[in-house]
Amino acid sequence: MSSSQSPTRNKVAAQAALRRQRPTTARGPRFGVVGSVLFHGLIFAAALFTFHRNFETPEDSHVVPVDLVTIANQTNVTAQAPPTPPTPEKMDIPPSPPTPPPEPEMQDVEPAPIPPVPKFDVAKEKPPPEDTKPVPPKKQQQDDFNALLNKLTTPDKPVKTAKAGPRVIQGVGAGNMMTADIADALRGQIYRCWSPPTGAPDARDLIVDYDLSLNPDGTVSRLQMTPGTAAAATGSAYTRAAAEAASRAIYECQPYRLPQDRYSLWREINPLRFDPRQMMEP
Amino acid sequence: MKRFLILCAALAALLVGALPASTPAWAALQVDVNQGNVQPLPIAIPDFIPGGPNDAQSGVNIAGVVRADLERSGLFRPLDQHGFTEHVTNINAVPGFPNWRAINAQGLVTGQVTQQPDGRLRVDFRLWDVYGESQMLGLQFFTTPENWRRIAHMVSDAIYERITGEKGYFDTRIVFISENGPAIKRVKRLAIMDEDGANPIFLTRGDYMVLTPRFNPTAQMIAYMSYIGAKPRIYLFDIETGKQEMLGNFPNMTFSPRFSPDGNQVALTLETAGNSDIYLMDLRTRAIRRLTTDPAIDTAPSFSPDGRQIAFESDRGSSKQIYVMNVDGSGQRRISFGAGENGTPVWSPRGDLLAFTKQQGSHFTIGVMHPDGSGERMITNGYHDEGPTWAPNGRVLMFTREAPGGRGAQIWSVDVTGRNERRVLTPGDASDPAWSPLIQ
Repeated sequence: MSSSQSPTRNKVAAQAALRRQRPTTARGPRFGVVGSVLFHGLIFAAALFTFHRNFETPEDSHVVPVDLVTIANQTNVTAQAPPTPPTPEKMDIPPSPPTPPPEPEMQDVEPAPIPPVPKFDVAKEKPPPEDTKPVPPKKQQQDDFNALLNKLTTPDKPVKTAKAGPRVIQGVGAGNMMTADIADALRGQIYRCWSPPTGAPDARDLIVDYDLSLNPDGTVSRLQMTPGTAAAATGSAYTRAAAEAASRAIYECQPYRLPQDRYSLWREINPLRFDPRQMMEP
Repeated sequence: MKRFLILCAALAALLVGALPASTPAWAALQVDVNQGNVQPLPIAIPDFIPGGPNDAQSGVNIAGVVRADLERSGLFRPLDQHGFTEHVTNINAVPGFPNWRAINAQGLVTGQVTQQPDGRLRVDFRLWDVYGESQMLGLQFFTTPENWRRIAHMVSDAIYERITGEKGYFDTRIVFISENGPAIKRVKRLAIMDEDGANPIFLTRGDYMVLTPRFNPTAQMIAYMSYIGAKPRIYLFDIETGKQEMLGNFPNMTFSPRFSPDGNQVALTLETAGNSDIYLMDLRTRAIRRLTTDPAIDTAPSFSPDGRQIAFESDRGSSKQIYVMNVDGSGQRRISFGAGENGTPVWSPRGDLLAFTKQQGSHFTIGVMHPDGSGERMITNGYHDEGPTWAPNGRVLMFTREAPGGRGAQIWSVDVTGRNERRVLTPGDASDPAWSPLIQ
């Protein structure tokens, strides 16, 4: 009989075996909940990180720390009271000095021809530009001056600024709204050092863009004219003067006082644009 | 189970993959600076180093003139030497920039004067960018010792041009009318001096009245109006030879001369039968051509720097206003529509502006406007300012200023921005300045 088991018994045994393979009713729900939580958590996390900006409403992110308010006040003062009055500023005529400078004495030469303007030997030699070969001098005087230029003794150039800070990525999720006050603060600090050459006939010649890297202490880490801009490409004397005036301003006004906790937002400024057109309008 | 783990792994991968994308791309801060603080550039100009035992005074003199030139421009502020912490003893050594930054110098000029064995003076100088820690300019000049002032002006011009991007104007001269004597019997003489007021010389004796002197483009010739023989006529004065000649022999009075930019023509006003009109005279052929025919008074012509147009004043519209026409007399059009009466237009050497005199009641002021009449603004605020003349770089103007009550005329200068108004020192009263081009 052992070889001839009843179909019913076989079916029961098969069902029992099948039951052994399936989770028991006690284990099934526990694993499902954990898995479900994990599964949904992962989906939520993925969605949170993937669609991060969509979730971040301005109200959520616009945490206003105390230092931010301080900066806002500073910059507002600057913005509301620009130093340049709308009308052309007049320099006060200096009062007469206690002892007025003697007026030059006139040589009373009656209809006298003025001696011919003497000729000058003028040797002009600029230091060779970095990227061009110096033009060979044509005159002996220029030879002399080249020799003079070559005699320049260059001491060790002092390190002007500290090393660049580490590239810390923080402030994830900060948008432009969070940087407007920083831009204002920087603008408000640079403007007092910036004295652009406003004499150019075409004010557009005076617009210059810089790439500026700042150290955490607010000092300049790296400064260069933004490559590819019109100002960097042109060789106009006006543009060069404008670029140098902007560079002087950047160095003179350092270190910049900006919120330390948001260094990542002001570590790189690109472009830092100097545009004096508003100042030149009558 | 296995499928579930694969799904979790995929989700984790998606999560990790999404991380960099979810971090905002490194967006550098963008800042626009569009307001500045226009201030004179602090510049240190120590006395030039004497190259030999007899050169000390020359070094002091030249540096002194350079400091005065740059200070007068209003764009530089030479620092007091007493505050210097570094004594420059070698023009060939790179300066200690931190020492100059410490006294807030942004520019530094080091120079040396050396008398050569042949008697000439050698002047070397370098201009340094204190913050950029680099040499911006290095030049050397040779001249006879008595020309040290011109060398100093050339040094000033070079520094001015390198820093501002504009040509300098210190190595120039001013021709003007020197006035002396009581009001009822003024003696007016043609005189000339350096731009800084040095070396003033009379060119005429004072027997007859002279007015409105004008330089030609080479600064070797002056055209002016004189009352020789009680008739106002235009004369030419050659500075090199001292010779003068009447420009054309017209039966009536001629006045208000102005050279064309190439120096070959003179625009002038000729009065015939009570009507003043503008004419053009070719100096080579002395041929004359009439440009205006209006019955009103047309006068005070001034060429555009390209020589194609002439600005002038006319009262054809019932009040004195500024007009512009082509050099052949065509296309006459009014450009001034501001308040009051506007006259004596003078085209800037740069071409971008016209300076003019505005009269409102008894009040005269100097203004500028674009050649199309736009952008009018007044740049002086005296009681009686008139007769503007441009520096060759188109950046500075001189003009005549009279105080109320006719207490004597003075020459003043002002930046085209309206800043830096200051008196030009002259021997006695002076009026009608005309600025020379840069001396060649």
